[in-house]
This record gives sequence, structure tokens and C-alpha cells, in this order.
Amino acid sequence: MKFKDYFTTPQVNSGAFKVWSRNFLYFKKTWLVSVFWIVFEPVVYLGAIGFGLGSFVNSMGGMSYVEFFFPALLCTTAMMVSFFEGTYGNYTKLTHQKTYSTIMLTRVGPEEIVAGELMWAASKGFFGVMGVTLVAGVFGLIDTYRIILVLPVLFLISALFSCIGMIFTSLARNYDSFIYSTSGLIVPMSLLSGTYFPLEQLPPSLRYISYLFPLTHGVSAVRNILHNQDVGLALGHIAILLVATFICMNISFFRIRKKLLK
Amino acid sequence: MTKSTAIEIKDLTKKYDDKIVVNGISLEIEKGECFGLLGPNGAGKTTAMKMMYCSALVTSGELYVLGLNVKKNYKEIKSRIGVVPQEDGLDPDFTVLENLLVYANYHNLEPKEAELRAQALLRLMKLEEYQDRSVDTLSGGMRRRLAIARGLINSPEVVFLDEPTTGLDPQARIWIWDFFKHLKSEKNTLVLTTHYMEEAEQMCDRVAIIDNGKILTVGTPRDLIRELIGKEVVEFDTNPVDLNYYLGRLREAGFAYQVIKDTVSVLIKDNQDGRKAVDLIASDKIYIRKPTLNDVFLKLAGHQLRNEQ
Repeated sequence: MKFKDYFTTPQVNSGAFKVWSRNFLYFKKTWLVSVFWIVFEPVVYLGAIGFGLGSFVNSMGGMSYVEFFFPALLCTTAMMVSFFEGTYGNYTKLTHQKTYSTIMLTRVGPEEIVAGELMWAASKGFFGVMGVTLVAGVFGLIDTYRIILVLPVLFLISALFSCIGMIFTSLARNYDSFIYSTSGLIVPMSLLSGTYFPLEQLPPSLRYISYLFPLTHGVSAVRNILHNQDVGLALGHIAILLVATFICMNISFFRIRKKLLK
Repeated sequence: MTKSTAIEIKDLTKKYDDKIVVNGISLEIEKGECFGLLGPNGAGKTTAMKMMYCSALVTSGELYVLGLNVKKNYKEIKSRIGVVPQEDGLDPDFTVLENLLVYANYHNLEPKEAELRAQALLRLMKLEEYQDRSVDTLSGGMRRRLAIARGLINSPEVVFLDEPTTGLDPQARIWIWDFFKHLKSEKNTLVLTTHYMEEAEQMCDRVAIIDNGKILTVGTPRDLIRELIGKEVVEFDTNPVDLNYYLGRLREAGFAYQVIKDTVSVLIKDNQDGRKAVDLIASDKIYIRKPTLNDVFLKLAGHQLRNEQ
């Protein structure tokens, strides 16, 4: 196998879109339960942490606590929803339901399946972001012009975590395997990426580790754009996210293709 | 390869890691033929078939389906064949009808055409009243019928069926085999695996008996039975003490036989007389029957228990 074979250009074609629309059809059938967990849950966080706990905090990072927390909430929603779709959702389709093996009986191939699934998990994360954004709009937290600027960044975060989820799916032996990735990676990341408090609060060693977390870069980019702070810094973070997405996407393509086509 | 060849296999081999599962098989399957791959569990028949329907990679050898190379033209092959895999692979997230429509969409069927085709197949498979039911609520026989309908949605030229009747009750089995007769009468090419010998004998124009990844023999069930077994079988039960005595007598008289535990099957060839064999045996449990593909299978593949794979 040549080195270049490890890299794949995702085939975002009609086949991938068919895989995407299979998931969308199911989403339409079960939208209420999805809305519950991808929108209702973050909104409860916004109320409890942002407005509840936050009312005890005078200012954080030079802004009100809810203003500080809201960009992070958008990012964690994107991360959680797409990661869980990429792990539990995709693992079910890969193993128990044999959905992918069945799709492979048709002219839709493994590259298209992976592309469609990554697109889907990213879309679902993005739906969550949109839902939270709409609710936050009702609370008057939204500046229309700035939110449009961060939506692509949030989609990028969703895409990155759908790829990371897909990689864990390819490694999983059973559903319990995801406990390692969830408790060991996703939950610490959601707490320590400058989400609930500024990174400067972390002891230096831990702060450097947190820079390895993709979510740190996502939160920083979104917060900087949303509050019109350091846009150059935001672009730097976005560049890091792009590189991470490209790498993770290739790993997930390589690993799932190897699983599907033996 | 002629125009009438549906599948051409030359020296086909499949390895998983270092394990050889299919070991250099060669075969030609004609269009309009019902071809059976027979063999015990783990013989390699499912893997051989998976390579034919392009769901497993070929390790070495040549494989052409409808004149197309599976290594290069698998997309076109897949759009011209239908597959009913062993595990139905029905999508539990969807209803009966949705299962067909979603699958038709993968096959690039226009929504209108897919709807018509799906309705026609549901009628044909006696599933129309269940079209809005979740697939989880279906019985085993209904699930299999739905999987068959799904395999036919793109009007395939060749249909692959992996153990189509395994695990079904007798009624469901009879219904499905009747349906295959109907498919055959419409000039479809059918390739199936099974370990139900009686069914294979009735249904298949030709069969290949496979064991340990190799083809032991290929032919029409009738020819195989006549050549390898004979015109009839005299079967009797004995005990370990008398067994060798009887076998000696049969050998002397020029009879071939196969022994499974304490049961001896004497294979009566065309030029032999079964009554002579009967005269040699003093057993009260003796009967004469028609030979079946089962006898051929046991003769070639042996009768040891196989480990399920």
C-alpha cells in the first residue's frame, strides 16, 4: 500500500447524499426525540449555568457570564450531538443493523457511505446548533450579523467531531467501548476547553494540554468572532480545526473502508 | 466465454489473513440457470458468492459477472444483480414499504418508478397489507420475503440468494421455493447456497458441491446421483460386531457402500441388482430407496460433524 492510499478524497456525490437522506428520513420520523436531546438539553444548560449559576458571577473575561458561556454552549452542542451520532448511531448501523453491508449490495460504495455518514453526523450537530441559536435568540442573546459568521465554524466543529466519532466507531468492540471516549475525552473536553471558565484559570501544565483539545480552538474561535475580539486569533484557531478535520476525516475513511470491504 | 454465460470463475481464491477460505475454484454459470452451491458450514460457499456479488474482495483469480470484471466494474455489476444475504439486513428504523423505497433509491430508481415497483413486489410477495408495519413486527418468513422483494427491486438479471430458506418453517420454505420456480420460469438466473439437499435436487439445474474451499464436483443433480451413487440405495442397520462381516460379503459381491455409524448404504449401480444385495444381509431393518443428492453429498464431503462458523 502506497502512502497516498492512506489519503482519500471524500466522494460527496449522489451516493453519499442517498446515505445522508436515509438518515434524514429517519430523523423526520423521530424528530421529537431528537429535538429533546439536541436542543432541549443545551437550553437547560443555558438556563441553569448561564443564567442561574452565572448570576453569581459579576463578569468573566470582560463580559457577563452568560455572554461568556453561550459561545461555548454552541460548540459543546455541536461536539456532543455529532460525536454521539458518529459513535452510537454509526456503530449500530455498522454492526447490529448491518445497514452498511446492505447498502454495499447496491452501487453505493464504502467511500460514499462514510462520506454520507460524516455529512449526516455533522448536519445533526448543526441542527442542534441552529435549535439552540433560535432559542437563544428568544432570550435576546443573538447578534444576527455575528451569528451568521460563526455558523460555518460551528459546522466545521460538527464535522470534526463526526470524524472523531467515526474513528472511535471503527475501534469499538461493543457499546461499552464508547465509555472510554466519552468519559475519557468528550466530557473532560467539554469542561476544560475554556467553556465554563477562562483557560487562564487552569494550572499551566493543564492549560497546555487543553490546547491539544480541538474544542478549545472551537470555543476560542467562536467566542472571539461572536464578541468581535481578536479575529486574527480566531482565524488561527479555524486553521487548526481545518487541519484536524482533514486528518481525522482521512483516518475515519481509511479505517471504516477497511472494515466494510474485506 | 459465450453470450449465454452469466458468471465465469477462473481459479478464484480468497484468503482472510492467512486462512484460505476459497481455494482456486473454477466454474461457469449459464444465463437462465438455477445454480446451487452446496456444502457444509464453513465450506466457503458464502464467501465464494460474496465475491460474485462484489461484497468481498478477490484475493486472486478471475471473476466475471455478466461479462464484467468484478475488480473493475463492480458498480455496474451491482446495479444489474439482486442479492438476498443470509442475514436479511432489513432496516429496523423503517417500515416494510420504506425499506424497499430507501433501497430503491440506492439503486438510482426514480421515486415514481420505485413506488410502482415496490407495490408490485409487495403484492407478489404477499406483503401488501403489512406495508406500513415496522420490520421488527414481521415473522421470519415475512422478513425473508421482504428481503427477496428488496433484492428484486432493480429488476436484476442475476439473483444471488444465500441460504434463502434456512431457519424458516416448512410452510414458508415451500412458499419461497415455489416463488423461485416462478422466477426461474421468467428466465432469471438464480445462484443460491443451501444445505437442504432435497430442495437443491428439485430446484437447481446444476449444483456444485463445495468443501474446504474447493469444488468437489459439478453437474446436474440427476447425473451426479447416477454417476456417484447409482440407481438405488439399499440401507440397513447393523451393529459393530456384524458390521465387518456384512461389509466383507458386500465387497466380495462387488457392491459399493458407505457407512455412517451403524447404518450401511449399499449403492446399487445401473448394472447391478439390488435384490442380490438384500440377499447378502440378514437384517430386519432393511429398505430400498431412491438415491438422493444427500447421498452424493455425504459420499463427497464425509459425515463428520462440522463446527459451526
